[in-house]
Amino acid sequence: MKYNLELLKNKRKIIGFSTFLILLSLLGILYSTFNTSYKKPINLGMDFVGGNELRIERVCEEDCSNFSPDSVLEKLREISKNKNVLNNIKLQFQNNNKLISIRTPYLSNEESNNLIKNLDNIVGPLNYESKDSRLIGPKLGKRLLTNCVTSLLVALFAISLYLTIRFDKNYALFALLALFHDLLIVFGIFSWLGIILSVEVNSLFAVSLLTIAGYSVNDTVVIFDRIRENLKSRKEGYNETIQLSVNESFRRTTFTSITTLFPLLSLILFGSYSLFWFSLALSLGIIVGSYSSILLAPSLLLKD
Amino acid sequence: MKRRQGWLFFIIFLLTLSVYLLINYPLQLGLDLRGGSQLTLQIIKDEGKVTKDELEAVNSVIDRRVNNLGVSESNLQTLGGDQLILELPGEQNPLVASRVLGKTALLEFRTQKEGTFTDLKTLQLQRLNIKELIEQYSSAEKTQNDNNFKKFLQDDIKAIEQELNYSSASIDLYGKLIEIKKYIDKEITNLFIKTDLSGKDLINAGRRQEQTNSNWEVLLTFSNSGGEKFAEITKSIAGTNQLLAIILDGESISEAIVGSQFTSTGITGGSATISGNFSAENARELEVQLKGGSLPLPIEIVETNSIGALLGSKNILKSLYAAISGLIFVGIFMIFNYRILGFVSVLSLVLYGFFNLALYSLIPVTLTLPGISGLILSIGMAVDANILIFERIREELNDGNTLTRSIDSGFQRANSSIVDGHITTLLSCFVLFLLGTNFVKGFAATLGIGVLISLFTSLNCSKTILRFFITYQSLRQKNLYLPRNNFSN
Repeated sequence: MKYNLELLKNKRKIIGFSTFLILLSLLGILYSTFNTSYKKPINLGMDFVGGNELRIERVCEEDCSNFSPDSVLEKLREISKNKNVLNNIKLQFQNNNKLISIRTPYLSNEESNNLIKNLDNIVGPLNYESKDSRLIGPKLGKRLLTNCVTSLLVALFAISLYLTIRFDKNYALFALLALFHDLLIVFGIFSWLGIILSVEVNSLFAVSLLTIAGYSVNDTVVIFDRIRENLKSRKEGYNETIQLSVNESFRRTTFTSITTLFPLLSLILFGSYSLFWFSLALSLGIIVGSYSSILLAPSLLLKD
Repeated sequence: MKRRQGWLFFIIFLLTLSVYLLINYPLQLGLDLRGGSQLTLQIIKDEGKVTKDELEAVNSVIDRRVNNLGVSESNLQTLGGDQLILELPGEQNPLVASRVLGKTALLEFRTQKEGTFTDLKTLQLQRLNIKELIEQYSSAEKTQNDNNFKKFLQDDIKAIEQELNYSSASIDLYGKLIEIKKYIDKEITNLFIKTDLSGKDLINAGRRQEQTNSNWEVLLTFSNSGGEKFAEITKSIAGTNQLLAIILDGESISEAIVGSQFTSTGITGGSATISGNFSAENARELEVQLKGGSLPLPIEIVETNSIGALLGSKNILKSLYAAISGLIFVGIFMIFNYRILGFVSVLSLVLYGFFNLALYSLIPVTLTLPGISGLILSIGMAVDANILIFERIREELNDGNTLTRSIDSGFQRANSSIVDGHITTLLSCFVLFLLGTNFVKGFAATLGIGVLISLFTSLNCSKTILRFFITYQSLRQKNLYLPRNNFSN
């Protein structure tokens, strides 16, 4: 089973495809930034803006009685004191009406407790054993955001430094280009997800970007190493050697991506809901990352 | 060959050690896996950074308060120079803790200014009114939508505001009530003059039920010098109609007259009681705050996470499913593609799992959900090195080399690019660990440890196991290492 990817012939198609993806991502980011309901390049979750998230299960036999979210909200408005909060409340029933999930702006512990009590009166009884509640103050949110952005910048700087020390200029530059390509596309996908499905990003998303950065560069490094090694003992021309090296490491790169995707797939299928979008972001990053390592980065090395 | 046998025994020894460690030092589970609450407390300082001493001082006050609250197995640690993290395992309600911890608990004793007798009387009356309104509003649940009640409340608020010559900024009624009460508290406090007696002069606090009714009172015990100060202060106002106010965080919780019998010596004995209609719970909270002393800097609770125990155990189960199914997927894929080599990598992966978990219990690493996801992700990355090596071995075999030779050079040639390739992932982990929050640190730690251990298991362990395998003649056939269609190549 020999692989024969025709990089030379398809260089334009590859670069065109990547440019298309990047433009699409930029479009999502710009749309999200200038849309009045977001005003941010990506839909920031409560980790970064503060708020209160509550998920709690109701105690009921197989099927729970049906409540319309609006009627529950109406009742909550009647018995809760802080009107400001209740104007910005989102409530959903999931799992056959068994699971209630609520998002509100930031509440104090006292207010959050009242909310739960009121909820218990309306749709109870509730099972406090399976409650998941998070309260994040707006101050902490801002801090987390700066924290994540700094981490990303520092990591990117460290990786660039490592690449420049390890490779010569061109290689380092192209590896970095491929890296930014991967990050931008994953970011763009989540911008679109935010616009279409109102998916929010939290600090785990930043973690996934960092992990993708580390992982995707790793793939590129392996391929570039192979190219360098083959160029030293080359029998064919420069471009052909690059193509040969890519084909030689094709199996390895796809296989490692697949073995990394398997555990992520298990996390998506069986893991806790709080890890769902995180695992998805990582999976996307690994797919885009192996594409850019196998096809994009070596294509950039080709000489016309 | 001899040296490899040594490695084999070493690996078996490590495995036994890991199992021993895991049995005797079980893994520490984070709150998201066993249920409980976590509060992040932010120290508020308007100018400059929080110094180490200040952090230390806040830490010890909070620690004392937590201990006095009697929560079991709580854990308090500092984070990043100006934050504290308090963990309360189990079903303990974070509400009480947040109420007790969040207050500065600055206790002051003040004496009334002369000639403010009538001013205080009116303010006290208004305070009583507003307290009653707040109570009505809180208990009135359904009647809030009752327009008559609303109208009555609005009128009352207007009347009080006019009397006070104050207008509140809040839009909703409840906000207005709270705001007015704060204003009244401030006005009352202003009618009193500071003394040099404060919460610092306390050596103990307690509580007891009042004899005449079901209310509670809080007892204060002063230090020697505190007792003298208290006697001095009470002496100065005894027999006058100036009152003594006990003020907690700017709110007067008790105003009392000092009888004329104390004119000569003041109140001696070094103790005092505060009786301000406390419920049992309120009295206990005040007691805990006073015992712990006041906070040198105010704090704010910026984050509360709480997870029910049932959900925690569900999370463990889900993670276990994910980890095992991930391992099985990877195992099937590897064995399908690499036959015996694949089987070797699966064995290495199992070793990898044990070593990882053993190291978590040794360091120790508290296992959280993100931590587990780091571990699961690193399973995929751990085989990465194996794939690199096996691909090399395949190439060597295809070139017609002998099995032993192919294996040797496969491991040798792949070595450098494996170590190199993991550096970037380690860099990311390192940055995450340095700059990340508590939550993120767990992921960085497990992924980073995983990558490091995988270097050992996929390079050394798989080589040793493979060498052990090929000592058996029957396992030396080339087609056990290469799927047949490749072999013809």
